[in-house]
This record gives sequence, C-alpha cells and structure tokens, in this order.
Amino acid sequence: MSYRSTPVPDDALEKITVKGLDFFYGDFHALTDITVGIKEKAVTAFIGPSGCGKSTFLRCFNRMNDLIPGARAEGRITLDGQDIYAAGVDPVDLRRRIGMIFQQPNPFPMSIYDNVAFGPRLQGVKKADLDKIVQTSLERANLWKETKDILGRNGLALSGGQQQRLCIARVLAVEPEVMLMDEPCSAIDPTSVQKIEDLMAELKDRITIVIVTHNMQQAARVSDFTAFFLQEMAGEPAVLVEYDRTANIFTSPKDRRTEDYITGRFG
Amino acid sequence: MREAFRQELKDLKVEVLSIGRAVTGVTRDAVTSLVEGDVDLAEKVIAGDAEIDRRTLQVEEHAIEVTATQFPVARDLRLLHSLTYIALHLERMADLGVNIARAAKRTADRRGPQTLYDLIQAQGNLVYRVLDATCEALEKNDLELARKLQDLDEPIDHLYKQFFRELARLQDEEDIEWASSMVLASRYLERIADNAVDIGERIAYLVTGEFDALHDSDEETG
Ligand SMILES: Nc1ncnc2c1ncn2[C@@H]1O[C@H](COP(=O)(O)OP(=O)(O)O)[C@@H](O)[C@H]1O
Ligand SMILES: [Mg+2]
Repeated sequence: MSYRSTPVPDDALEKITVKGLDFFYGDFHALTDITVGIKEKAVTAFIGPSGCGKSTFLRCFNRMNDLIPGARAEGRITLDGQDIYAAGVDPVDLRRRIGMIFQQPNPFPMSIYDNVAFGPRLQGVKKADLDKIVQTSLERANLWKETKDILGRNGLALSGGQQQRLCIARVLAVEPEVMLMDEPCSAIDPTSVQKIEDLMAELKDRITIVIVTHNMQQAARVSDFTAFFLQEMAGEPAVLVEYDRTANIFTSPKDRRTEDYITGRFG
Repeated sequence: MREAFRQELKDLKVEVLSIGRAVTGVTRDAVTSLVEGDVDLAEKVIAGDAEIDRRTLQVEEHAIEVTATQFPVARDLRLLHSLTYIALHLERMADLGVNIARAAKRTADRRGPQTLYDLIQAQGNLVYRVLDATCEALEKNDLELARKLQDLDEPIDHLYKQFFRELARLQDEEDIEWASSMVLASRYLERIADNAVDIGERIAYLVTGEFDALHDSDEETG
C-alpha cells in the first residue's frame, strides 16, 4: 500500500486518553460520555455533521475551552497518562505541547521569520539558535524553498495555502507532541490542500495529529483512525458513534448510523 | 447528486443480475445442445458469447467511472466492487458454457451410451438450480441462500466423479474423442457451479462487510 504512509501498528501507544467525557456550554450539554484513545504518531480524523461538537471536543485536548465563560468539562483526559485538567497543569505549557491549526490561517502581522520565531522567543531561545529553528520549522512545513529568500516579508503577504503552512511552521517551532487541526484545508486552494495532506503524512513520524474535517474523502486519505460523532436529536448531547481504523470505517463500518452518514444517506 | 449515484448503483446491479440470468440461459442451451446433439443450438451459444463479453466489460467500465467520480464507501463500495467481481465470474462461466457447446459440436455426429447423456443432464439440472439460487441471492441480498450455494454445489462434484466411473466401464471400441469431450463437458459444468459458489461468497461479503473463510477452489486443475 505504497500510496499510504507507514501503517500504525495495533499496539501503538495512546497519546491522549479520554474517559467518560461530558462537555457543557452553560446549560447546553454538547457532548456526552466520550471515551476514546488517540494513538501516538498517527493521524486521527473526527468526522460528523456540522454542529455535532467536533471542534468542541478538539478544543478540550489543549483546554482552549477554558477561555469560554460558563464552559465546563467532566470526565478525564490524559496526555501520556497525566490528567490535563489536574491542578498544577499550566494551560500555556499544555498548549505548547499540543499545538493548534485553525480553519482560517492566522499568521501574525509580522515577518515570516518573526512568525516562526515567535514561540521559541517566548520560551527564551537564544538569538543565535533562532535561525536554525526557523529554517528547520519552515522545512518541516514544506515552506522553506518558497520563503528562504523572503523571510523578512510580512506573513500576511503569502497566499492562503502558504499562510496555513506558515502557521504549521509556527506550531512546529516549539516542538509540539500533538497537533490539532480544525478544518485546516477548508479555506485554501486544492494545490495547497494537497501539500498540507502530504505534510501530515510526513509529520506523523514525529507527532500525533488530530484533524477535524468535513471532507470525508480527506479523512479517508489522510487518517489512520476515524471517529464519527453524531448529535441524534436537536438539544441532545452528541455521542461518539464509532471509532476504528479508517480503512474499516470506510469499507465496513459497524454502526448503521456511520454507514448512513458516510454514504451520504443523511446529514 | 447522491440520488443519481444511488440510482446508478441500482441500475448496475440490475444489469449484473440480467447477465447472470443470461448465463443461466447459456448453460441450459449448452447442456441441451450436448445432450440432444443439436448443432444449431450449440452455434447459437457460441455466437452469443461476444454479447456477454461486451456487457461484462461495460459493467467494469461503468464501475471504474463511478469509483473515480463518486467516492463510494461502505456498502456502496462493497456493492460496486462485488458487482465487478461477479460480472467477471459470469463472463468466465459463459466461456465455460461455450466450451460445452463446442463439445456438443464435436460429439454431435455420433451417439454414445444413453446413461452418460442422462448423467450430464442430471448434472446440468443441479447446476441450473445453483445458478438460479445465485441470482436470487444477489437480487435479494439473501445471506442465508448465498451461504447455501456451497451445499448445493456438492452433489455436482459427486456426479462428475460418477461420470468418470461410468466412463471406465466403456468398451474399448468406444470413441476416445467422444468420451473425452463428454468428460470435459462434465468438468466445465462443475466449474460453472464453482464460480457460482465464489459469487455466493462475494454476496456474503457484500451483505456482512466481512470475508467468510474462502472455500478451497480447485486452482490446480484450473
Ligand atoms: N462558545 C460556544 N458557546 C455556546 N455554544 C457553543 C459554543 N461553541 C459551540 N457551541 C455549540 O456546541 C455545539 C457543537 O459545536 P462545534 O463543536 O462547533 O461543532 P462542530 O465543530 O462539529 O461543527 C453546537 O451546537 C454549537 O452551537
Ligand atoms: Mg467545527
């Protein structure tokens, strides 16, 4: 199967383990009883109809939801076996270990170089080491060739697809262990989509990737594991319907609801 | 657009079923031509093969096109893939029918012992039963029937062996070419039924999403 990256072994470790997670926005119960293990150095895709809580769930992993007033999570999420909601866990440090890429590329209004150097600088990396980090990160984001001669140019001057790769380079610069991607390809052109998909296959040798995508073909192409979420009734919390190897989900899903969704019979 | 896609899948299945029924007809005509020494009927079977080839090829082309453009998954994917696989098997079964018709032409000018014609006819009757059941299992996605095909196939193998025993009793003066043509015909019938059993396994996969343990196909005699 040469078109795919290295298969993830059955005994791959769980990087993130979620047990019995419920999530609330104030009175609104968004997710219920989610239990899932995100495999290390693999790509896991979250799919499901719009509004079923994929982004919400993703944002639990790096405690981005903490920033929303009234939002609360119940249950347990561990990173390498350690509770990320435990007292003493610094959310800022957590977000360095678990980086995030959004639908809309959001480079800072500064030079390409400064965008990538931003995180390392905050961490107090010495000036002398920055050049190397910037280059390596841009290389790993497959953006070096295009930008090595224009590092001083404003990041916002790049094309949409390049901006997204710049954001990926910015995340990679702080050596994260996990990269969360929330519909990272929705706002960019097809050629750039291809580049980002290729990039994911390369990056997973070193990091764990979780991607939310509304594009099922993309989930099938890029991921090793797929989780299907569904809110069955308006007002009810969403559930994790099925989680399995992507090949199984797309050839022989076990749950009728998954089958109906991926074959386009509803949603 | 998804509706149009689904209709295409349905149409494709109808076409494969129709090819399946045509192959059943081919098998009947081939056996009749052999048993009755009907050369015209044998010619008809041989001439009809090009049409079955054309139709199965069309199914395959259509399936490739749908795969390339519609991203079929799950049961749609299994259906599409299985239909291609089934069409290919049907095409081979029709070829075996043509081989029987050729044997009919070779043997038509002389009449052998009636017991052997009776045996071929009996074997043919069992094969029609398997073919009808195969089409029905596909039409209705009938898992139980699909899995029963293997049992239906068993007596056909027995008759093939019995055919051999009967031949051994023939006198020396019996025409050896005649005899070997008849053995081959019996063998082709047995292989048509084997193909049907393979189709049954594919129908089971189509329905369950899991491959049953594959039965021993007799590749060695191919
Ligand atoms: N900040 C928020 N405050 C209140 N409700 C929210 C907030 N963000 C999302 N929701 C609600 O939570 C549900 C899940 O949303 P979301 O996680 O964005 O779904 P998805 O990413 O699957 O489209 C939706 O009903 C949405 O309206
Ligand atoms: Mg979302």
